[in-house]
Amino acid sequence: MRSGILVSFLAAAGIVACGGEVPAPKALVDARADYARAKGGVTLQLDPTDVHEADLALQKAELAWSDSHDPNDEHAIDLAIIAQRKAQIAMAEAAAQKAQQDSQQAKSDLAATVQAQLQATRGQLDKTQQNLALTQTALQQTAAQAAEQKKELADLEGKLREARDTIAKIAAVKDDDRGMVITLQGEVLFKTGKWDLKPAAMAKLDQIADALRGKEQPMVVYGFTDNVGATDMNMDLSQKRAQSVRDYLVTKGIPSDLIQAEGKGPSSPIAENTSVEGRAQNRRVEIVVQPKKS
Amino acid sequence: MRFVTVALAAAGIAACGSSFPPPNDEYSAAQADVGRAETGGAPGVPDARLHLQLAQEDLQKSKGLIDGGDNKRAADLIAVARVEAQLALSLARQDQAEGQARSAQADLAKAKGGQ
Repeated sequence: MRSGILVSFLAAAGIVACGGEVPAPKALVDARADYARAKGGVTLQLDPTDVHEADLALQKAELAWSDSHDPNDEHAIDLAIIAQRKAQIAMAEAAAQKAQQDSQQAKSDLAATVQAQLQATRGQLDKTQQNLALTQTALQQTAAQAAEQKKELADLEGKLREARDTIAKIAAVKDDDRGMVITLQGEVLFKTGKWDLKPAAMAKLDQIADALRGKEQPMVVYGFTDNVGATDMNMDLSQKRAQSVRDYLVTKGIPSDLIQAEGKGPSSPIAENTSVEGRAQNRRVEIVVQPKKS
Repeated sequence: MRFVTVALAAAGIAACGSSFPPPNDEYSAAQADVGRAETGGAPGVPDARLHLQLAQEDLQKSKGLIDGGDNKRAADLIAVARVEAQLALSLARQDQAEGQARSAQADLAKAKGGQ
């Protein structure tokens, strides 16, 4: 009996000693660690159901271990493995959910980015189309203006031709780099040494004024003399004669701001001054109709 | 007296082992879990493939245990096989989801890079 009590005491002591010394099996230690990871991270937020399953499985494993305290208890080890796997399942499912959320977010961001790019492109396209429309309108206006100007030019040229034909009947007409030059002989316009217009000259100038009126072209009336007499006198005479013609044309409707007078004296002869005929040709008035300024 | 005690204990052990029914339903469920893991992409993911193999091995062992009459131990192994297969499927899902997320993020980065 005494020996039986002793054996029982030693056995109890042994169990206590073993309870304190026998380490938990590695499977259970791993299960505890993985469960702690699952419970401590985002896994609990994302997959609480599987974390709960792992919790229940771990409780079973802990209970089996506390019952046996046998590191080789296959049942307890299996329960620990199951608990660990359930914790790992929870983490994997949570990671999958997180990845799906990331994927969804990226797709949503992509859609927003593409939409923004599309809107920007549409905006640019609209702006380009507006600019194109403006350019087309401007181009059409320019083309219309050009056509109008071309028509005006054609009309003007037609009128000029008519005027030229009309003037050519009463005076010499030619073109040079100054424009259309109408030449009237001095004898036709003035008495010798005078600058008052003869009545016949006025009749001719009336026809010239009729032809040139409304053309809006600048004109210069040049007076010329032969080389007989003092140059100063000839310069003065040619200036007065040119002024007489200019003033008369103004009274006949040629705008005063478009017509000027200038005496050239004996300069620029068109014939020799050695003969009567040559000097007669040099005594002249030229009305130069300049091209219209654009 | 000692003989009777031993005989009763042996009979009790024998009775316990044989009274545990064959875990046929659990076995079928484990096979289904393995099948889902196989079709769910586990063979193509290294970690998942490892757990799938463990599940298949456990299932194979459990079959031998059932044949040998150790139904209780077989049931434990089948339970382990099931969680191995389920983990294999979860790891495959995780891998696929992370791959899709990487692809979507790459598409996003490409789109933003093209701005």
